[in-house]
Parts: sequence; C-alpha cells; structure tokens
Amino acid sequence: MKHSELENILKNYHREAYLWSRQCCGFEDELAKDVLQQSYLKILEGKAKLRYPEKVKLWLFSIIRFTAIDELRKNGKWLRLEDSFDLIEQEREEVEMDYQKLLMRLSPMQREVLLMVFYHQMTIAEAAEILQIGLGTARTHYERGKKKLKELIETSQTEAENGK
Amino acid sequence: MENEDDLIKGFFKDLKRQDESLSIPKFPETKVKSFPWWIPMGIAASFILGAFLLFQRPEVPEAPADVIIISLQENENHEQEILIEEKAYIDIWESSTSSLLTEF
Repeated sequence: MKHSELENILKNYHREAYLWSRQCCGFEDELAKDVLQQSYLKILEGKAKLRYPEKVKLWLFSIIRFTAIDELRKNGKWLRLEDSFDLIEQEREEVEMDYQKLLMRLSPMQREVLLMVFYHQMTIAEAAEILQIGLGTARTHYERGKKKLKELIETSQTEAENGK
Repeated sequence: MENEDDLIKGFFKDLKRQDESLSIPKFPETKVKSFPWWIPMGIAASFILGAFLLFQRPEVPEAPADVIIISLQENENHEQEILIEEKAYIDIWESSTSSLLTEF
C-alpha cells in the first residue's frame, strides 16, 4: 500500500485512534500523543504492515495497544493482569463518579474489552483479536468486567446520593 | 442482565459525551526518512567507472603483415642498386657484415 493511502487511512481514524491511545495509556494525554506518533511512524515506515485491508481498524488498534504497553513498561506503569485484580479492593475508598477512575479500577483486559465493545462499537471477537486472546477468554473478561463496573457505578452513585 | 447492560451502556455514553470536549491533537506531520538512494548509486557508479578504466587496454599498433627487405645488388651494368621487396617472411637472411668474412 502506498504511503499516501496509508496516511489517508490514518487521518480517517485519527480521532478514534487518539481516544484509544489515551485509553490504553491510562488517560494520560501526553503519553497518548507520543504513543500515537510512534504508532503512525511504525505504519508509515513499513515496520507494521497491513495484510487485511478490511481489518484496518483492528490492525491500527493493535499497533497502538502494543506501542502503549511498551511505553508503559518503560515507565514502569504496566501492570500484569494478575497484579491488577487487588487494585480494585485497595482503592475502594476513593470511589467517586469519575468515568476514567472507575475504568482504571478494572483489570487492563476487562477495561480494554469493555472499551472496545461499548465505546468503539466492536464485537467481542474483534476485541479478542486485538488482545490476541481466545474468544472464550475475551467473553470471560467481558462478563467479569461488566459485573465489576456495574458494582463500581452503583457504589459511586450510592456514595454520591449520600453526599460523600 | 438487560438492566446491567443498560447501566454499562449509559456509562459509556456519558464517557463519550465527556470525551467530545477533548481537544484532539492535529494529525502529526510524519516525515518518513527516505532511504538515501544516492549513496548506493554513487558506489555503483564508482565501481563501473573503475572497472571500465581497469579493463580498457591501450591500443598497440599492429605490426605490418609483410617484411620489407632492402638489399643492395649489382646489376648487369655492374652498378649498385637498391632492391626493395615486400614478403610475408624471410627465407634467406644474410648478415650485413657477412661480406667481411668472405672477402677478407
């Protein structure tokens, strides 16, 4: 694919790509911009190649996600899946109706699956492809994530009603 | 289950609405480093030029096919005359000083 064609694709998905990059970077704007720039360079320099043009969005989201993971690892901010479960319980006291904070209390996998399905209008199968996990595993993250998020939202609403 | 989905959908709808106020950075100017083709081209041109100069042999003038024999002979009037002959080879060769051996 030609450089100009790739650039046009990236321009079309730019807004969504930035939002996804921000979500992958724990909602840090500056890091998200860096990650996005690096992802675009990987694509335009031919380091990442598009094999299936019909899956361009999945391809772009995958590149952004892996670039974000690399950057978070460099900064020591990347939490492994099993490490992240306890985080929810530890930070329960700080609950408030803040969308980003609530999402950050989910495990990375749960958060990413829910964001891809409910925010970016993808299917669970597409989310599984981006996360490079099986469909069954993605479904488990999806169900557990929904359950956990529901609890967090309800807790947040209750606390807001009680004026905490 | 439906209630749970509605709650989650509402949550993400609100998040999207909140994100609408986000300022999206401009599409970055991406200048892809193009490969400097002039370097390998220059190297290749140097090799070609070098090979051309190396294998170009200086032209050697070709030797005449025939041998010119100039001889001094005495004719019937007992006069000396110069005889010039062109031959492909020399069948008889007489040293120019052989007369010294025979006459003295």
